[in-house]
Amino acid sequence: MSEVRLQVQNLCKTFGITKAVQNVSFNINKGEVHALIGENGSGKSTLTNMLTGIYTIDSGHFILDGKEIHPKNQVEANNEGVSIIVQELGTLSGLTVAENIFLGHEDRFVKFGIKNTNAMNREAQGLLDKYGFGRIKASAMVDDYNFEDRKLVEIVKATYFQPKIVVIDETTTALSQEGREELYKQMNRIRSEGNTIIFISHDLPEVLRMSDTITCLRDGVYIDTVKSSEIDEDGLKRLMVGREVTGDYYRSDYGEKVSDEVVLTVDNVSVPGQIHDVSFKLHKGEILGFGGLSESGMHEVGKACFGASFDRTGSVTLADGTHINNIPSAIKHSMAYTSKDRDNESVVMNQSIGDNICLPSLDSLTSLPGVLSDRKMKDFANTYAAEMSVKMVDTDQFVSDLSGGNKQKVVLARWIGKDSDILVLDSPTRGIDIKVKQDIYQLMDRMRKSGKSIIMISEELMELIGMCDRILIMKDGAISGELMRSPELDENSLIAKMV
Amino acid sequence: MGSSASSAGNKKLSGKTLGYAVLVLLVIASWAVFKVITPGNFGKPLNLLSYFEASLMVSAGAVGFFFVMVMGMFDFSIGANIMLSSIVGAVLASRFGLGYPGLILGCVLTGAIVGTLNGLFYVKLHIPSMIVTTGLALIYEAVASYIAGGQSATLPSDLRAFGSMPGNLILAVIAFVVAYLLLNYTKIGTYTYAIGSDEFVAKNMGINVNKYKVLAFIISGAFFGVEAVLTISYGSSMVAETGMLSMSRNFYPTMGCFLGMAMKKYGIPIQAIIIGEFFLQIIYYGFVALGAPTAVNDVISGLALLIIVTLTTKVSKGEIVK
Repeated sequence: MSEVRLQVQNLCKTFGITKAVQNVSFNINKGEVHALIGENGSGKSTLTNMLTGIYTIDSGHFILDGKEIHPKNQVEANNEGVSIIVQELGTLSGLTVAENIFLGHEDRFVKFGIKNTNAMNREAQGLLDKYGFGRIKASAMVDDYNFEDRKLVEIVKATYFQPKIVVIDETTTALSQEGREELYKQMNRIRSEGNTIIFISHDLPEVLRMSDTITCLRDGVYIDTVKSSEIDEDGLKRLMVGREVTGDYYRSDYGEKVSDEVVLTVDNVSVPGQIHDVSFKLHKGEILGFGGLSESGMHEVGKACFGASFDRTGSVTLADGTHINNIPSAIKHSMAYTSKDRDNESVVMNQSIGDNICLPSLDSLTSLPGVLSDRKMKDFANTYAAEMSVKMVDTDQFVSDLSGGNKQKVVLARWIGKDSDILVLDSPTRGIDIKVKQDIYQLMDRMRKSGKSIIMISEELMELIGMCDRILIMKDGAISGELMRSPELDENSLIAKMV
Repeated sequence: MGSSASSAGNKKLSGKTLGYAVLVLLVIASWAVFKVITPGNFGKPLNLLSYFEASLMVSAGAVGFFFVMVMGMFDFSIGANIMLSSIVGAVLASRFGLGYPGLILGCVLTGAIVGTLNGLFYVKLHIPSMIVTTGLALIYEAVASYIAGGQSATLPSDLRAFGSMPGNLILAVIAFVVAYLLLNYTKIGTYTYAIGSDEFVAKNMGINVNKYKVLAFIISGAFFGVEAVLTISYGSSMVAETGMLSMSRNFYPTMGCFLGMAMKKYGIPIQAIIIGEFFLQIIYYGFVALGAPTAVNDVISGLALLIIVTLTTKVSKGEIVK
């Protein structure tokens, strides 16, 4: 029988009238990777945020190695032996790599109030070298590094002091395959040292591959804890959703002919340092996929099509000859775009759900010319929030209160309300649970059938294969291959053109 | 996943060099322009020394104000602080016979108390620092006027060693060194940058954000206290102004800080403030030498600031600037 490391006892947390975590109890053992799964808004992150001191506990207890802990912030959590690696960027600009690694723990380098920067840099560099990240310089400003490298700095920061528990909260969705491999390596090391990992991920195959035990939450309520070796993907889906989820939530049609009518022509589009000479045509009712490694340039293609790239050359032309050179003209001509960076580029976090949905459609929501109609805006927001089944109190709720999946639903509701004909969806299911994913896939399929055209950019090869009529693979900023929809198409065919 | 900073160390070094080069170039260029226009009464070595002495006063305050500005806060009570601190220092030094200790402690402690009040009102009332400090500036002016009996406070000539060389240089250099050490070699400096970068994350890292915000105002206030010592020692008296007239003293420390913010990326903010204030004084005295009206001087100084900050701030394409 494994030894219990953490006991979660009758834990509760509410935000206003939303019960985020309701009387949750379960145990986590030493030396295991314990996955937490559940739909968006099921309470996984709320629970781990309480464990790591980001949120306060309303009621209930965390018992770590027999002792109750209630950290008030991450440093107190670190001192209790708990650390966290978050999904988004967790390092601070304006500080060096070393300062980020030891933020909140500087006292060990301070004598008589003066910080020994050299000693701090030396120790940080030693850690980076030990982890195999020696190319990252401890004394350099963290701003000098890209997103991936900054995540590696976070891994060092969260694990160097051998914490008893490391929470990894949807971190893998933000990483490329290489970054993920680094993270997996560290997870295995931590487990082999007898410490524990709480692993949150929506990637169920990854959950099954990496974890020993899996606990499922639904709507803030504990559902079950199972051994990874005793359950399969469909079983996990059943636990999460509460009913049978069919495995074929992607499109099931093959051989349907895509219309010859071209709705968008992209000609020799280049963005310095990002993409060069990209040309393709998008047809009416087509889902055109873009795949590749994270830095292949595929994300920039979406921006370039929507007129959101800087210094773009080449042309993006609609069927009627209109050139799309900036965002206002793209929106005016019925184009829509959802960014991979949802929080920073797609939703206005500190505005209401209603305002977010209405934003691009304000011109049509007036009572008198130039005067917005509150009633029309409310009706509009309610209609499309309901159509997307956004889990919310009402449309006056701030978007910042929503889970990742529900934020994405708000973004999609905005463009459905606008009735856009061409949608550029960059990583539309990133960090989203299985149920919302299914909703989004079904929505895309309905849109396709109604003659809308979609450019889908994704790092998830299976969804490209499952949803697209045609897939263009990007490599080093250029299109390296084209694959047509087929039941024989598999991940290896795509990977062969990606690397 | 290639590292984008394979030679980050070298980059920083070249950034620093570039930063210094820009600043020195500004000083030389501004001196050269006025020297050509008014060769007779501008820019001789002795003149330059007096411009430098004038810049020392404001630099001493500006290096402290940088802590407030980096955190994204502002202070409209700078002038009122300098005025009140000077008057308290002068009164303690002369009327109470406490001499130099009274002058220095009076000014610095009063500045720190003003900073404490600014910080506490800001964090407790949860209203923008601009509004808090504007409201408090009116109160500080009124208090200063009351202490000075509605007129001015004068510092006797035997207590004015900090008004000229080498006293002013020594005091200013001490202030610069303290600011530099605080920023680069203490937790306060690290946390100042951390809070300025992302307050929410900083809070989650266990940093007591409110405490360090108040501390930033205290540091800033104390450095304005040092500026007050230099100012009243140089000018011998301080008139107690009311009705927000003290705000004219906000200008140069704020301008210097803007330069410091612009040069933050090069890793030399304190140095940028010191050299930047010297550059601003050269422009000021250049216009004085020309006999230009104050309004023209202000217009040119304002434009110079905008141009320098625009040229030295590397904003990436698409980066949102607020």
